[in-house]
Amino acid sequence: MTDSAKELIDYICKEIIRRPNVQIEADTPLVSSGLIDSFSLVDVLTKLEEVTALRIPAGKVQPKDMDTVSLMLTTAQRVGKPRR
Amino acid sequence: MSDRFPPVPIPFPTLTEALFAAPQQKPFVTMWIDDDEERTFTFGEFTRWSNAQAAAFKEHGLCKGDTVILIMPQGVALMAAFAGAMLAGAVPAILAYPTFKVDPAKYRFGLAGVSANLNARLVVVDASLPAEFLQSISLSERSKLIRVDSLPPVSGNSDVTHTSCKSEDLAFIQHSAGTTGLQKGVALSHGAVLRQLAHLANALEIRANDRIYSWLPLYHDMGLIACFMLPMVHHLHVVMQSPADWVLQPESMLHLISMYKCTLSWIPNFTLSFLARRVKPENGNYDLTSLRALINCSEPVRAESIDCFAGAFSSCGLQPTALQSSYAMAENVFAVTQSGINGSVAPCRIWVDSGKYQSDGIVVPAKKGSGERMGFVSSGQCLPNNEVRIVAEDGEALPDGHVGEIVIRSDSMLDGYYNRPDLTSLSLRDGWYWSGDLGFLLNQELYVTGRKKDLIIVGGKNIYPQDVEEIAFSHPAIHDGRAVAFGCYNANLGTEEIVLVAEVGESSNLEDSSVIERAIRVSIAAELGVVPRAIYLKPPRWIVKSTAGKPARSATREKLLAEHPELRIS
Repeated sequence: MTDSAKELIDYICKEIIRRPNVQIEADTPLVSSGLIDSFSLVDVLTKLEEVTALRIPAGKVQPKDMDTVSLMLTTAQRVGKPRR
Repeated sequence: MSDRFPPVPIPFPTLTEALFAAPQQKPFVTMWIDDDEERTFTFGEFTRWSNAQAAAFKEHGLCKGDTVILIMPQGVALMAAFAGAMLAGAVPAILAYPTFKVDPAKYRFGLAGVSANLNARLVVVDASLPAEFLQSISLSERSKLIRVDSLPPVSGNSDVTHTSCKSEDLAFIQHSAGTTGLQKGVALSHGAVLRQLAHLANALEIRANDRIYSWLPLYHDMGLIACFMLPMVHHLHVVMQSPADWVLQPESMLHLISMYKCTLSWIPNFTLSFLARRVKPENGNYDLTSLRALINCSEPVRAESIDCFAGAFSSCGLQPTALQSSYAMAENVFAVTQSGINGSVAPCRIWVDSGKYQSDGIVVPAKKGSGERMGFVSSGQCLPNNEVRIVAEDGEALPDGHVGEIVIRSDSMLDGYYNRPDLTSLSLRDGWYWSGDLGFLLNQELYVTGRKKDLIIVGGKNIYPQDVEEIAFSHPAIHDGRAVAFGCYNANLGTEEIVLVAEVGESSNLEDSSVIERAIRVSIAAELGVVPRAIYLKPPRWIVKSTAGKPARSATREKLLAEHPELRIS
């Protein structure tokens, strides 16, 4: 697992899910499984931008692109642009 | 309905004629995605693209009067498809495109309901619309689903003659605000839209060099009418971005207004507080001097939000009188009222005695510093050929200063809800549209106080949930815009009680929850004269939001009742 994935997982567990007995992996479904609310994704996307140092045009991101940490990182690479 | 009113001069019989009359070289739309990704289309380029779309739609069998559903991301392609459908004589309807933060199950439910009612001949979807959503579109035997990538590209051109329409023909269907899936399709004629735009342009004293900024979605009236139809018909330049991009970069709105010297913009009330809290003026070198009207619309107008924004950005050249207001709804095409933006006057504000207001629904001006009082900001005066009445439960008209339901009559009213005569007859009676909003008139100014169905009646006192929520927002530990108040009936007391749920800004705030709760409770009691039954503080992101990003009152209520079943027991 990459450092970016670890950082994102850590953030999602501590700041979004906030349940001590819940652990997630890079391929754990998050929204479709009900672990996180889709409205939390604004904050997750902001964190994803920070972790990847990329600017992600939100209008190009679909719900399915954000369902797992792996998908988020893939999406960031696909649509993200270097920050200036 | 327009026969009741004196005719208004309209230079074009239809919206498409107005587009054809535009100066070809003038910029029409700048779509901004990022600093290195933006594109501007002139009226000429846009018209050619729209014409090519019309030709393609006709090849797909589209005929005059057919409905066309458009499910595409915010952008010029969507606008060209919309105009193209009108050029083909058809009736387009834009449906929300799913963003990353939409709940897929809720979206599918909404899509199925709305598309079934529209019974469209063509359903045009973006190539990237996920298959899981495609399956939820209701298609009849005569429907045809086409992907945008099968349509002509930007450079597409066609000499096709557009299908001529008359002023009274349906132009498009826009959807009223409401729970997804239960949204009502508002059918509007070319004439109704053009009359509304003529009144609006008159009220705003539109000039050829006006430039509009917008992040508003095109599937809502504020985005579609004020930020697409108005510039298309009056040949203005509009600078646009998508709502999703704006939410992640709220400062981009101020950046674009500064860069393009935009003069007009429409926003819902929460935008003002959101920007004031999220954007530091000193970080952006913003110049807002060009802005002659930033129009607060679609939510009750809040003095606190206006003052918060004015305080934060007055150093950026924001004119105090630029912060204006309007009362609008899809059923009237758009605006019913507009505050005066050209007399260098800000919207009227009044302070009223809160006791009389809550117990009797009567507005009695209170002097500053005297007892318990509440402030209201006007949404302005009626546009020409628009009439507002305030009525009691029994339909009797109420005099000035009495709170009641807002009913409207105008020459730009809807013909009816599309395929829903049942809903039409409920809302349109004797030529008047019953809005379901509450408010009062005073000196010809309309003050909107809330939604009728949300009103909480505590021991005979009318309490607006927005007032309770505003008190919660004013506490520094509460996340702005993230609180919901509602009434819970107590059978023992024989009346409703107030329940408030609010999100804290940081999880760590919950350690001080008893102190925060007490402070909010004291403020509610002091300002509204009622004591809430319960206040629940929740961690960030707990409140359920609607697709428009506002707290979803009924869904949040259900979530709270599920977590706290004790609330169901009085």
